Amino acid sequence: MRLHLAALSLKRHASRTLLAMLGVAVSAAMLLDMVMLATGMRESFASLLSSNGFTIRVSPRGTLPFDSEATIGQADAAALAMRAVPGVTDVAPVLGTTIHVLGRPEPVTAFALGIDPAVQGDYQLLEGRDPTAADAVVASDALLRAAAARIGDTLDIAVGFDPQLRTYSGRRRLVVSGRARFTYLSADDRAAALSLGTVQAMGGGDRADRVSLFMVRTAPNVDPELARAAIERAVPRVTALSTAGAIAEAEKRLSYFRQLAFILGAVSLVVGFLLVTTIVTVSVNERIGEIAIMRAIGVSRAHVVQQIVIEGIALSLAGAAAGLVLGVFTAHYLNSILRGFPGLPDAIDFFLLQPPSALRALGLLVASGIAAGIYPSWRAASLPISTTLREEAVG
Amino acid sequence: MKRTCRLRLLGWVSLLTVGFAASHRAAAQVIDSIPPWIAAQRTIAIDERLATDAGLRVGDRVVLSPEPGNAIGDTVRIGAIVKGRADPSEVARSEYRVRMHLDHLQRLLAYGDRVDRFAMATTGSSASDSVLHAVNAVAFGFRAYPSRDIAVGTSKTFLVVSRFHRAIGMITIVASATFLLCIMLLKVDERRRDVAAMRLMGISRATVVRTVMLESSFVALLGSVVGVGLGFVVSAFVNAHYQTVYRTPLRFAIITPGTVAYAVLLSLVLGIGAGALAARRLARTPPLTLFGR
Repeated sequence: MRLHLAALSLKRHASRTLLAMLGVAVSAAMLLDMVMLATGMRESFASLLSSNGFTIRVSPRGTLPFDSEATIGQADAAALAMRAVPGVTDVAPVLGTTIHVLGRPEPVTAFALGIDPAVQGDYQLLEGRDPTAADAVVASDALLRAAAARIGDTLDIAVGFDPQLRTYSGRRRLVVSGRARFTYLSADDRAAALSLGTVQAMGGGDRADRVSLFMVRTAPNVDPELARAAIERAVPRVTALSTAGAIAEAEKRLSYFRQLAFILGAVSLVVGFLLVTTIVTVSVNERIGEIAIMRAIGVSRAHVVQQIVIEGIALSLAGAAAGLVLGVFTAHYLNSILRGFPGLPDAIDFFLLQPPSALRALGLLVASGIAAGIYPSWRAASLPISTTLREEAVG
Repeated sequence: MKRTCRLRLLGWVSLLTVGFAASHRAAAQVIDSIPPWIAAQRTIAIDERLATDAGLRVGDRVVLSPEPGNAIGDTVRIGAIVKGRADPSEVARSEYRVRMHLDHLQRLLAYGDRVDRFAMATTGSSASDSVLHAVNAVAFGFRAYPSRDIAVGTSKTFLVVSRFHRAIGMITIVASATFLLCIMLLKVDERRRDVAAMRLMGISRATVVRTVMLESSFVALLGSVVGVGLGFVVSAFVNAHYQTVYRTPLRFAIITPGTVAYAVLLSLVLGIGAGALAARRLARTPPLTLFGR
């Protein structure tokens, strides 16, 4: 009965109901998008960092991984010291450098990683073999395209370039042993992975026994924070960062988006609340006489309140449902814009639909719709019946 | 009392900064000729964030070392504390900046007589083009780029952010337009009894429509004025907040005359449009129906 009356009331002003629903839907979509933005980056980044099982990143003291050109000296000794830390199961050294693929009309420049193929976590091999041999290189599709090379081809690669003399140093002839997707790089990045020893040897004295960072795996039953602190004690010239610490650092840098999401999400919620409140209030004001008649023929106050609250819930629910669809589409569009950030890893998404968070946000909107209906309905149901009838229904 | 602290220095960052200064001095000094006792007296400039965080003041002595954790380094005196520029590319980076004399940094890093780049000032855009051409044609091993090309290359991130802001702006406009339309329709709808009374008194439909439209225009205009005022307050708050968070003089929200004109125009169009729509509908409805009879 209550549902039927509420439906009739909403149908009576179909255009108004439709417009209100549209307003709530846009607010809900915005709210949903902002929730997806606020949680998406964190979850996406956490998933990226933990995808290969490494729980700690170790970089030169005072720096973040690959945030500067600083390197860790005496890398072998540092790796040994870290392996001796209780709970550490694997230590993967990584040395980053720029390489030039020669023998093309224009040299092709790429980012190269010197790794230990046995414990690396920087790429997933798509085809071929890991660069276990000293003369092997694994390349990204973008690099293979730019260098017009295939697996099995030999590339003339250098690590240094003297612009004055236009000469290349650290040259080696390397065989493409595989094709890979690099975890922390975008698909458009030209990248290669070589054995660490090869990159160090090509870099000459400047690179001997040096690495850019270590990635460390810990045993499942070990708290990474404790292992992190132990590593910093064992090797004081490094900064160790757990996955949680890395996420916190990334969040600090991307706090702008989180705050934007919070502000716009709050505004969306308020707008949705105001919209439902206004619609319900106006609707109730129009029907004061009708409500007085209902009260006069014995309909209880609770019944009247429930009927009006149902109207608010129906508006919010319909708006939220439409907003869910709209929000997913707009999030997809907004995500495609932000994915244009140069060098963004493929695995990073700014907008991530997480059902629990989305349901909480939309639930909040529906709850605000309920709250929006309670006051005007209670006020209308509490008006003196005879006076209201005289003023509204009769007069 | 003089304090001494160890300052970690990322050489590549500082070298870029010093490179600019050196280009103005147009000299790469022979560092070997500088007596050690003079080098020990050398000064550096640090940014105010570093000064605040490390509790440093002009005149304090610090030790610079090229590598983190390296115990060997140069003792220098802080000669100046400089304010950071409003550079968007540095907003999200929390790095400290140290400005040094070029030869000093070259010696500290064992970098030799090398620089990462030169910046060249010219007398105008036509001079820039000819200088660019001359450098690229003559200077062996160098490549000159116009600043605008470098700006395009380095501003991709901001273009993405700008596109994102525009998209968010469009969604916000759609949301606010729907809200505004809804409110204006309801506002006019509330006047049904007044309209009925006016019609029964013999006032023409056209006059009723014009009256209601005028009223809705006034409401829209008043709302726009309040909205613009609110916009200024919010943008001031946004700027104050983010300038504190990121410790930069950069302005994050700017209200331009174009923005104001756009917002006012949009709200007027929506207000008047909604008013006209609702007024015409009311004017066509028989007055007694509007009274509920």
